Parts: sequence; structure tokens; C-alpha cells
Amino acid sequence: MILLEAAKLHKTYGNKFNKQEVLKGLDLKIFKGEFVSIMGASGSGKTTLLNVLSSIDRVTNGSIKIEGNDITGMKEKQLAEFRKQHLGFLFQDYNLLDTLTVKENILLPLSVSKTPKKEADQRFERIAAELGIFEIKDKYPNEISGGQKQRTSAARAFIHEPSIIFADEPTGALDSKSASDLLNKLSDLNQTRQATILMVTHDPVAASYCGRVIFIKDGLIYTELNKGDQTRQEFFKDIMKTQSVLGGVHHER
Amino acid sequence: MSVNQLILRNLKKNLKNYYLYVFALMFSVALYFAFVTLQYDPAMDETKGSIKGAAAIKAASVLLIGIVAIFLTYANNLFIKRRSKEIGLFQLVGMTKNKIFRILSIENFLLYYGSLAAGVFLGFSVSKLIMMVLLKITQVDGIARLHFSGAALVQTLLVFTAIYALMLLTNYIFIKKQSILSLFRVVSNTEGRVKTISIWEMVIGILGIGMIGTGYYVSSKLFDGDFTSVNQLFFAMVFILASVIIGTYLFYKGSVSFIANIIRKKKDGYLKINEVLSLSSIMFRMKSNAWLLTIITTVSALAIGLLSLTYISYYSAEQMAKNNVPAHFTFVDSESAADFTEELESNKIVFTEKRIEVLQAVMNAEEIIGLKMEEYTQDPAAMSVTVISEKSYGQRDVAKDEVYLTGYSDIMMKFISMKDSGPIEIRGKEEAIPLHYLGMEKEYPVSRYFGGSPVAVVDESVFEQVKKDLDPSIQRDSSWYIGIDLQDERELTKANELFNEHQYTEAGMNESRLDSENIQKRQMGLTMFIVGFLGLTFLITSGCILYFKQMDQTEDEQPSYTILRKLGFTQGDLLKGIQAKQAFNFGIPLAIGLLHSYFAVKSGWFFFGTELWSPMIIVMTLYTALYSIFTVLSVAHSKKVIRESL
Repeated sequence: MILLEAAKLHKTYGNKFNKQEVLKGLDLKIFKGEFVSIMGASGSGKTTLLNVLSSIDRVTNGSIKIEGNDITGMKEKQLAEFRKQHLGFLFQDYNLLDTLTVKENILLPLSVSKTPKKEADQRFERIAAELGIFEIKDKYPNEISGGQKQRTSAARAFIHEPSIIFADEPTGALDSKSASDLLNKLSDLNQTRQATILMVTHDPVAASYCGRVIFIKDGLIYTELNKGDQTRQEFFKDIMKTQSVLGGVHHER
Repeated sequence: MSVNQLILRNLKKNLKNYYLYVFALMFSVALYFAFVTLQYDPAMDETKGSIKGAAAIKAASVLLIGIVAIFLTYANNLFIKRRSKEIGLFQLVGMTKNKIFRILSIENFLLYYGSLAAGVFLGFSVSKLIMMVLLKITQVDGIARLHFSGAALVQTLLVFTAIYALMLLTNYIFIKKQSILSLFRVVSNTEGRVKTISIWEMVIGILGIGMIGTGYYVSSKLFDGDFTSVNQLFFAMVFILASVIIGTYLFYKGSVSFIANIIRKKKDGYLKINEVLSLSSIMFRMKSNAWLLTIITTVSALAIGLLSLTYISYYSAEQMAKNNVPAHFTFVDSESAADFTEELESNKIVFTEKRIEVLQAVMNAEEIIGLKMEEYTQDPAAMSVTVISEKSYGQRDVAKDEVYLTGYSDIMMKFISMKDSGPIEIRGKEEAIPLHYLGMEKEYPVSRYFGGSPVAVVDESVFEQVKKDLDPSIQRDSSWYIGIDLQDERELTKANELFNEHQYTEAGMNESRLDSENIQKRQMGLTMFIVGFLGLTFLITSGCILYFKQMDQTEDEQPSYTILRKLGFTQGDLLKGIQAKQAFNFGIPLAIGLLHSYFAVKSGWFFFGTELWSPMIIVMTLYTALYSIFTVLSVAHSKKVIRESL
């Protein structure tokens, strides 16, 4: 079942004298329950893609459907409503509110959607246990480690059971141990909860945890790899190969 | 880009950001200049008659400088901290600290002296208006003319240049002390790190509320008879001040976060958007600004308190004049009265005349009056009392053996306690007449010549009895009160002119209520004028400081708004939260300030006038309304930031 369908996405920045086209008619389909990562060099448009897909930024042209709803035509209020119901976010710099405790941070999305308190508590206990952060629920973000922060952020993304979770370099600021911890948890949650995750990364190791890797280059899809029955190690090697072909900057003279 | 262009660019940007600072600066300069102009104005001589006008204004202008200097250096500090990144960048590209300092100074110079010039111009144009306000409230007839005073200009320039130098010095020290790295970090350092509330903080929180409460309690007992000597009173006052001010500090340091924490604990992690934005941020921000908030609160309380008290006395002028002079014109010698009525008749002014015969006697009221403070009133067993007959002053019926007192005063009631009814005795020279006391009334039937309150109203037969047995040694020269009331108030000024023309006041205690009221107003007017403008300056500067603080915080919190909006909160949701937050941020210092001043005013207002509630409420409402403008501005600014945060 197709969860997210983007067709002919165009995104242009700047004014009419100085245009910069970042997305050039990109098509994309994500299926329910997939764990997909998007890779590409700096400036390839991967963060822009994530932003438009997640309704934070608007496309210049094209359509984006999530669970059959076209979000490109929605008004600001409708978008907020939509984000509240269907989307979860995970960021490189955690984006936790410093003045709230871990538990309060995690419960925010439920407070937006006005979920009853009892149910909120149950959901919190489950997700906090799964991510191993129940013990630190009364601590403030300043008092916990980076890995714990990112797991808190993940718990916040999952708690309202959104249709799709967008992750922007979630391991970017973590050490390798915390990063692999987090990625293991993410792929567990992907399995157990049938959660759909779309992750942007430039780290091949992180990408190797996914089921499918999409490479973009200069605003278009370059290629994609499926994990299939491969082990993570084998998949990682595949990714590395593709990436080296893709390269960073080409010097064509 | 050359350095000059850089300066101009920065200036343009700053003007947009700091319009309020420019406004506050212009306002302070304008006010100061106007004050100094008044000081040099020949028209001041006319108000000089009341209190030493120029001297009072001079003292006020010194205070004004104090407030303005603190405000400007504080605002300047905030700004330079905000621009630390920029300064760091300049350093990074190889500018020397001295050069950066020069750039900042020139920029500051243009902004500062630009506002100064505008302020002087504004001050010059409003000084006439201010003069008119002053003449109006002091009831002095004078014509306000526009005088440009060179001396005033020089003084203003000197004072504000001194403040500018002070600002330069703080900037210099700031820049000298910082390294490139710390400049980049300064914003995150100024606000304290968020930590779990410790037990120690809870103790501070409870202590703070306790101390404020104790201060309030003692203040309400101040004149209730528990402190019987002047020394004790003095210590009680010092105690109240100390306990309330320290309590306020602890309140911001601990109590706010303590209370907020209790509320949050109850929510058990499930916070609504309002609570996310208000509770959680207030909890931590207030703590790091405890000193600033304490000063703002204390001085607001002082300003509101003084304003209330002066307004009470100004407001009570009418009532006081009415108590002292019960009719439009009162006479105690009938010759003058007859002369005056003739004058009125010949000028076709309609009036009514009321004559009351007034006797002096001694009252034994031991049974109904208890003393609260020993040294302050007469012995209740032998109080002097003014006696009039029910027939000549028929407000309320009294039987043959009854009496009621009239001329209630709040001040008197603070020093004595009185029962609602009971037996008293009125003594003449030889015999004493036992009477049943019925209660106390508010009205003052006769003028102050007859000794003020209380006045005993008795049955005609009793009155005759007292009259036969008079003690001549305590009688006044005149035993007749003659009150003349005009039927048409509009003719009062004309009648008053007639009254003054004939100088009836020379012939004894003949009085005009209008004059008595005006004298009182003149005495209080100048004080009120000065306190009012100082209060206004303070209001504006403290409002600005809070606004800048909020502006800073909002910009700091912008990332949070981004997160919240990504989570699906709408702009409207966030705005609601921000409104709640600003309501607290501005509301808590205001509420505490109002509460402080309420208790301060309540404990001693009766020394200043006859009416507590209306003047106090008027002052407080006005203050709150003006103060709210800054809250509105600050919400408007947050709105902009929220809009831009996604």
C-alpha cells in the first residue's frame, strides 16, 4: 500500500533574476511500513526534499499525497492539523524543549491532539520502556546524554503513532555507540509497530539499517538500492559502492 | 564595504529593532529637559508660594537622572550582549578590539544624540503643556508661555553626555573582557541552566511567601494599638520593609518556580500548550532575573504607593474642605455674616442661611471609648466635646435621654476604639447629665472653629440644660455658627470674589470652602505633579526593560517555536501560549507591586486624606493600563517571531 506519493516535485529558491532549482521534477513512492533512507551529497537537495515532504516547506510545483491527502494545496491551519495527526519528526540536534522534562517533551504531540491523560500515560510507559528512557523521565534535557536526548526525541516522534516519521540526520551528532543503539531501536520500532520511517543521512552505516536507500543527485533520483535478503554488512558494501560511483563533485573538463 | 557604510547599515537595522529604546530615550530627555526648563522658568515663582517650587522640581530632576541613568546603562548592556555574535565576527575577520569599540561608539553616538536632539525638541514643545498641567492642578492662575532656556539646554546636554560616557565605559569593559569564543557563547551563559528543583529551592520558595505574608500582616497591625511607642513603630516599619523586600527577592528566586513546579507535578508530564510556554519558561527565567524583578517590583510599589497617597490627599481636598467648612461660606461673627448676605442680595445671588448655636462641654465617655495608643488622644473620661441641639441640626431624631456623635474621622478611629452604644455623661460646670449614646455619624455640622470632631447632638431640652450650666472658661468667643449655601453653584466664583473683597477672614474664623479647597490643592498639587511625572518615567523605563527582556527571550526561544510548530501546533495555539506567558511575565511583577503598595497605603493612608478606595483604585487602574501597553507590544513582537519560526 502506497503511503506517500510525490510526483514531479519542483522547488526553486531565489527571485526571477537569480533562480536556483533544487528539486527538478522528482518522483517518489513510499510504502506503508517501510524504512527508507535518502542519501546524496551536500547540495543534492535531500534536506529540501525532506522539508517539502514533511510540509515544513512548500513545493514550487508538483503534488505530494500522504495517505491519499494532497498536502500541497492545504492552508496553514490544515497543515498544522495534518502534521499533528500524521507526521512525526526526528532531528539531528534533537530539538527538545530545554524547559520541559523528558516526559513532558515526549507527551507534547499527545497534548496537541488532546488525547485523554490516562491513555497518554499508557502510551508513554510503553514507548519509554521500548527506548529505555523510563528511568530518566523527570530529568531535563541538560541533564542527560546525547544518545538519551535522541531517544527522547524518537519517543516523541513515535508516541502519537503517526503515519510517517521524518528523520533528518538523526545520528549526526551522536557517537558511534549511541548511533548504532538508536538505529537498532528505530529498526525495531519499524518492525514491531509497522511504523513508516523516512530518513535523510549521508552516513552509509546509518543507511544500511534501512530496507531501501534512495540516492539523489542534483534534484533528481539517481538510483535506489533494496536490501532484500542481504545482511546489513552486504547491504552496507552495496551502498558504499553506489556512493563512490555517485561521487561528490565531478571534475569534467 | 567601508566602516562608515557598516555603521550606517547597523544603525538602520538597530533603529527598527530598538524603536522602543529610542522612544524611551527621547521620552526621558524630553521630560528632563521640560523639568529643567520649568526650573528656569519665571512662571515657577507663582507656584513657589505654595512649596518651594523650583527646589522641589530640582530634587525631582536629580531623581529623574538616577532612574534614566540606570535604565540606559541596563538597556545598553542588554543590547551589546545581543550583538556579541557580530562583535565576535568582526574580531574573527581581524578587526582590533579598539576598532570595534570605535565602530560601536560611533553607532551609539548617532543613535543616542539623534534621540537626544529629538527629545530636546519634543521637551521644548511639551514644556508649555507640562507647565499648563502644573498650573491647572495647583489651581494657580498663570499663563504658560514658551521660554527657551539656554541654561536648561546646556544642563540637559551635560547630564546626558555624562550618561553616554558611562555607557561607553561599560561597553569598553565588556569588549575588553571578551575573547572571540566567549563572545559567541554569551547568550547561552546569561540564562541559567535548567535543572531539577532542589529541596533548598523549595525552602527558599516557602520562605519568600512567608516573609511577604509576615510583612503584610505586621503592616495591617501597624496602627492597631500593638505598637504603643514611636520607637516600636519605627522598628515595626523597618521590619516590614526588610521582610517584604527580601521576601520579594526570595519569591522570584524560589517561590515562582516552586509554585509552578507543584502545578507541573500535578499534571504529571501532560502539559497543554499554554503551560508549555508559560509555566515552564517562567519557572526558570524568573529565577535568573530575580534581582532585576525585585528592583522593578519594589520601585513600582513605591511609585504606586506614593502616587496613591498624594492623590488621596489631593482627592480628599474637597471632602476635607467640606468637613472643615460645612457650607459654601461659614461665619462665626454675625456682623460679617449680615454684611455678606446683604452683598449677595444686592448681586442677586440666591442663598440659604443656617444658624446653629454651639456650646462647649466636657464628656465622660469612659464606658464606650477605649484607647489604643496612650499618648495620642485625650483622656476618655474628660474629653472636650461640642454640643448642638437636635432642633437646629435635625439629621436624626434623639429622645430626651439620648445622644449621638457626629464627625467620624478615620484617623481618630485608628487611635481609639468605640463601642456601638452605651452610657456617657455630658458635664457642664456643676452637674453631669447621663445620656444613652446611639452611635457615630459621618457629617460635620459646624466649622472647625468649634473644635472639630466629635460633635454631640442632643435633645433640645438637654441642650437648654447644658446651656444653663456652662463652664465659661472653655467657651469660644462666638457660640453661633452661620452657614451660607448658594442655591446655584455656578455663582460660587462670583460670591467668592465678594467674600474675598471684603476680607471677612480678617474678622475671625470666617471661611470660604472654595478657598480652603484651593489652598489644600495647591499644597498637594506640586507634590502630585512631581510624583506623577517621576512615576510615569519609572513606569516607562521599567516597562521598556521588561519589554527588552521579553524580546530577548522570545528570540532565544525561537527554536522551541519551530519545534512546536513542526509538531502540529498552529500559530494561534502558540500565540495563546505566548499571551499566557507574557501575562505572567508582566503580570507577576505588577501584581506583587500592586499588592505591596496596597498594604503600604492601607497601613497609613488616613494621615493623608479622607478617602481611600476611589483615589487608590484610580491610580492603580491607570498604572496597570499604561503598563499593559508594554505587554501588548511584547505580544505583538512574539507574534512576529512565531510567524517567522517555520
